[in-house]
Amino acid sequence: MNHNAERSGARALVESLEKAGVEVLFGYPGGAVLDIFNCLTDAKFQFILGRHEQGSAHMADGYARSTGKPGVCVVTSGPGATNTITGLATANMDGVPMVLITGQVPLSQIGTDAFQEADTTGITRAVSKHNFLVHSADEIPEIVAQAFYIATHGKPGPVVIDIPKNCQQAKTTAQYPERVSLRAYHPESAATGTQMARLAKMLNDAKRPVIYAGGGVIASGAAKDVAAIAHRANIPVATTLMGLGAFDEHDPLSLRMAGMHGTWAANRAIADADLLIALGVRFNDRITGKLAKYASKAKIVHVDCDPASIGKNVGVDLGIVADVKDVLTTVSSRVKSASHADWLEKIAAWKAERPMSYKPLHEAVIMPQQVVEAIDAATDGRAVIVTDVGQHQMWCAQYFRHSIPRHFLSSGGMGTMGFGIPAAIGAAIARPDHMTVAVCGDGGAQMTFEELVVAVEHKLPLTVVVINNGCLGMVRQWQELFYKGNYSGSILTVKGRSANEHLEQDLEYDYLPDFTMMAKAHGAAAYRVIDPAKLEPTIRKAVKSGKPSLVEVIVEPRANVYPMIPGGHGVEDTVFD
Amino acid sequence: MPDKNALTEIYRLNCFVENKPGVLARIVGLISGRGYNIQTLNVGPTEDGTVSRMRIDVLGTEKVLEQIMLQLRNQVNVIEVTSRRRQQ
Repeated sequence: MNHNAERSGARALVESLEKAGVEVLFGYPGGAVLDIFNCLTDAKFQFILGRHEQGSAHMADGYARSTGKPGVCVVTSGPGATNTITGLATANMDGVPMVLITGQVPLSQIGTDAFQEADTTGITRAVSKHNFLVHSADEIPEIVAQAFYIATHGKPGPVVIDIPKNCQQAKTTAQYPERVSLRAYHPESAATGTQMARLAKMLNDAKRPVIYAGGGVIASGAAKDVAAIAHRANIPVATTLMGLGAFDEHDPLSLRMAGMHGTWAANRAIADADLLIALGVRFNDRITGKLAKYASKAKIVHVDCDPASIGKNVGVDLGIVADVKDVLTTVSSRVKSASHADWLEKIAAWKAERPMSYKPLHEAVIMPQQVVEAIDAATDGRAVIVTDVGQHQMWCAQYFRHSIPRHFLSSGGMGTMGFGIPAAIGAAIARPDHMTVAVCGDGGAQMTFEELVVAVEHKLPLTVVVINNGCLGMVRQWQELFYKGNYSGSILTVKGRSANEHLEQDLEYDYLPDFTMMAKAHGAAAYRVIDPAKLEPTIRKAVKSGKPSLVEVIVEPRANVYPMIPGGHGVEDTVFD
Repeated sequence: MPDKNALTEIYRLNCFVENKPGVLARIVGLISGRGYNIQTLNVGPTEDGTVSRMRIDVLGTEKVLEQIMLQLRNQVNVIEVTSRRRQQ
């Protein structure tokens, strides 16, 4: 290619995305991105057409969570851009690298309330890591390079590039830069020698240490390093929801997930620990509960790449702003082997005292927890599990034995219903050689169901399991426990709706929609399971087919997620089934 | 939201930022979006035309201020931030 060649801004954008290493672009066209779409047919990367911009954004997010590479998405101006807001907020909260390109009305029309005009940089500011409004075609290559740099350096996050239509059409000779230099943004930070020495001493002095691993461990690729240190010094490991997969839950040292719906052993161990080594976590309120009582006997070490997350919620004795993997590889050689026999014995007792368990409410009705156990069994625990949000999300966290990083993808911070199906499609596109299982409730599945057609078009090995309890289970659970069973707005069956909804009690259509018919209409194979004996064989059949499929499982509607530490309480207030 | 019972004082933030469109909105949004009220805001050029200086007075606690400083430093366009407690 002639390096001084003049081409349109849109062509320069596509070239820049190729230079940035983009392999898959998700998106949806519209008037303000017609010039970009006109160039996409010549691009070296694949384009995946979603069916709603929110779906495309979640696909890019799922792709990024699955691979660690930035997910890239292009949408039009106005409603195209505003439809991605939930997708951006979801990625932003969980630190997922993404680049979103939005079309914009021509610069001359900005501020005139032109057709499909929205103040995209204004609207996305609070839900993205950074955003750019392009003012000239000449800026495009440089801004694309900067956007990818910002999305992937420091704490990862979504970056928006808003490109007015006239800048896509204008000619430019600007080239993609060899290297990125940002004047003010230098997020790299390393631990000091003193910090490392203190960390090693604290680790070696501890009698009751707990490693507490979050999404940052997975993001920095440090799962093996966590395991090495845990094994050398016999340190038990708890994870956050985002940290599931960072440590093998089959390992005897695993405490599994901590927090509001975490295991008794994990929460008990953190409450009793004398040293908490928190790696790549944020100490979110769903984890800590009552702050004054959280890890109150422990010295806390917090390692995170984001300086603003250290000391934000929980006071720490040693805060290290650095990449988790760098810290662990450096400290590893200084960690002495230890048995911590008394401590591990205590932990074993907690595990035995309150194992993760549920009581079947009716022997002929499938318990939702059973569905997750069946997925684990049918996939030998190897599937990439992508969840939606609600009760089933917690059951997936609790009843699947997580062992592989980037195999549990879930909207942790934002709690976005509708995330599951499109994110699973993004993940399956990233890893077509792998089983992907999207687990959804009947509520969330309806929010973005239209995207299933993308899985069918691309013949993805994706099974969607809809755990259908006929209600918005987590809302229903909180109403049962904290609002005296006033099930306002949370029942999806006709039966049991509150009077203010003015619904005729016509039981002919008790369960709507029929998810198997919906799946078939989208071209996927579909199964409905009511009989507990058919649960695992059906899931096995669907998953082993390697084709897009949906399994709707009708489950016990009254099942609740336990254990549960009510918001703002401590471990001693844990409620069990 | 800020803890209403904690000791609140006025802090002055001195912020050097890249002189680019949208930066002022970003800084102000970051502070107000977290529920903190800006008392005084003053923005002007520096001798270096590519850098602007912002003086922002915020009412809050020391902990709040520390969090705002860290969040500001995370911003792509923020070059430097310092702060001091103002005499009332």
